[in-house]
Amino acid sequence: MEALLGGFAVVMTPANLMYCFIGAFLGTVVGILPGLGPLTTIAILLPITYKMDVTSAIIMLSGIYYGVAYGGTVTSVLMRIPGEASSVVTCLDGYEMARKGRAGSALFIAGVGSFIAGTAGTLAITFLSPPLSRLVLAFGPSEYAMMMLAGLAMVTYMSGGSLPRALLMAAFGLLLGTVGADPMSMTPRLTFGILTLGDGVNLVPLAIGLFGLSEVLFMATRSEDELKIIAPPKGLAGFLPTAEEAKRSIAPIGRGTVLGFLVGLLPGGGAVIASFLSYAVERRLSRHPEEFGKGAVEGLAGPEAANNAGTAGAFVPLLCMGIPANAITALLLGAFMIHGVTPGPTILERQPEVFWGVVASMYIGNIMLLVLNLPLIGLFVRILDIPRVFLTPMILVVCLVGVYSNSGNADDVVVAVVFGFLGFFLRRHGFDLGIVILAYVLGPIFERSVRQALSISDGDPAIFLHSPLSIGFAVAAAVILGAGLWPRRVAAPRG
Amino acid sequence: MSGSDDAATPPAQPLTGSRVAAAGLLLLAGLGLWQSMGLERWGIEGPGPGLFPVMVALVFALLALVVLIWPGRAAATEEGDTDVIDAETRQRTRAGFAIYSLSLLVLAVGAAWVGFTLTSIAVSVLIVRFAEGRSWFAAIAYGLGCAAVGLVGFGWLLRVDLPASFIEHAFFSLVR
Repeated sequence: MEALLGGFAVVMTPANLMYCFIGAFLGTVVGILPGLGPLTTIAILLPITYKMDVTSAIIMLSGIYYGVAYGGTVTSVLMRIPGEASSVVTCLDGYEMARKGRAGSALFIAGVGSFIAGTAGTLAITFLSPPLSRLVLAFGPSEYAMMMLAGLAMVTYMSGGSLPRALLMAAFGLLLGTVGADPMSMTPRLTFGILTLGDGVNLVPLAIGLFGLSEVLFMATRSEDELKIIAPPKGLAGFLPTAEEAKRSIAPIGRGTVLGFLVGLLPGGGAVIASFLSYAVERRLSRHPEEFGKGAVEGLAGPEAANNAGTAGAFVPLLCMGIPANAITALLLGAFMIHGVTPGPTILERQPEVFWGVVASMYIGNIMLLVLNLPLIGLFVRILDIPRVFLTPMILVVCLVGVYSNSGNADDVVVAVVFGFLGFFLRRHGFDLGIVILAYVLGPIFERSVRQALSISDGDPAIFLHSPLSIGFAVAAAVILGAGLWPRRVAAPRG
Repeated sequence: MSGSDDAATPPAQPLTGSRVAAAGLLLLAGLGLWQSMGLERWGIEGPGPGLFPVMVALVFALLALVVLIWPGRAAATEEGDTDVIDAETRQRTRAGFAIYSLSLLVLAVGAAWVGFTLTSIAVSVLIVRFAEGRSWFAAIAYGLGCAAVGLVGFGWLLRVDLPASFIEHAFFSLVR
């Protein structure tokens, strides 16, 4: 508790409060804008945080991540357009509520549900992280390597495409992570004699290329349809739900919070899967399943709580184990490392102010988001009026600033452009690029663990199965990969 | 574009594209394997710098081969769809897409040779005037606006490094 209060002391400086607000605000804006996701935004803004204090930088970037879930709700409810993937389910019942004249109520329930889930998720991080960190400290290199293998297997399984495609992207990311000087012997690897690659493929041009520049190319291929927006209520009174709606939303918010947090803990989990699972659970438990897809309060409240709790849950493996659960937390891990902080079990001992500062900022950020989202919805919706013609040049200019400022080297811009075209081509043909980033960030840690384990065992690979924990992770990886090879039934959402 | 054309094109297109992508990745895996085979895999102190890249490149090549033979189901992207572009949209936006692609190349070349301001203006003019068909005035004004935001916001206030030419040097010598 004392440590958390110390975290609040870190956040309560004017500068950190401002960065928390900027992150939450940007997250909301990004959540509203279809196409421009949190991954792209964090990738673009990452280099701009270099000159900031590490805690401030992570507070701002984290704010973008959890703010997105709030922003995505607005367009889902008012326009049936999910601003980002975790708000897809909200379209089903949130938009139907809006069509019945209950837009304010839907936004209020979603906002309050998101706040409750986000705060409860942060509470869980507060109390779960210290014991979990102590547990992870007992891991040796072989356990760490097998845990990462199981994590990568889980991420590929969750990707939604065929398993070989997902594994291919994971292998691509791992290989990209080996480019440059070997961290142990400094021998140049896979550089093809190109000087620029001597330091490896940097995270920033890779991420900006794969997500920022490829997104601009995608924008060029989409038509700009006229948007139909259901007007939000003018006054605050218009947002209040009826007693019946409030009553029906309480239990789904509670269930969504618990389910979302647990899913968020899993590698490959996070907000998207949490929201879909919560919707399925609510429909299964409902006394009126026929109302789902036609404006059921439960179908809105549960998934909205779940996606926010899932976002919070994903911070636990990142902060306690140094293992990102998804591509966005992989970028946050990259941000930590760029600032010289290694998340993992030792962060609580070595840099407690960073850990608790980030956790405390999440409490404050959630309050900011609640205050921001209800009264300012009308203003946020107007962001959608910005035409593509003015959005894309600005994105390109910011990408240029982001990539160049990373190293002051124009060659990195070339690298980003190459990955921009590659990313566009791969995404267009259904390859999940989130896995590439995740594997790229995990790759060096994975390699170090594998090499340390093999050094200890003098090359005997049996070391990876020497403890019950390693065996457990190996079995989990095998089961997950086996399940992934099993033909999956693709169910279309009803309603 | 007729409805039958639309119906006929999409199923075949992504499958072919997936195979082309897999073939390209197989080539990359081969290059990676070739480079990493020359590195020491085991030394006096244990695993060498080549061990992990060889293992990964082998798995990468094998998986690329599997996807080349059996492309499988496409993944959902962050937007929640498979980003498959229909034939009609592709036809309508082909010219625009080419200009957007060109603007990316201008970004890469401009960063190295002409600095931030001129690159920003060139990219904006390409997109606003040529890809989106707005007036020259709108294109140049917006380009100047983007450059000003970058110079003042990022370069001056946030002190971020920008690709420099005589324009940036002159501006920063005045304000910094």
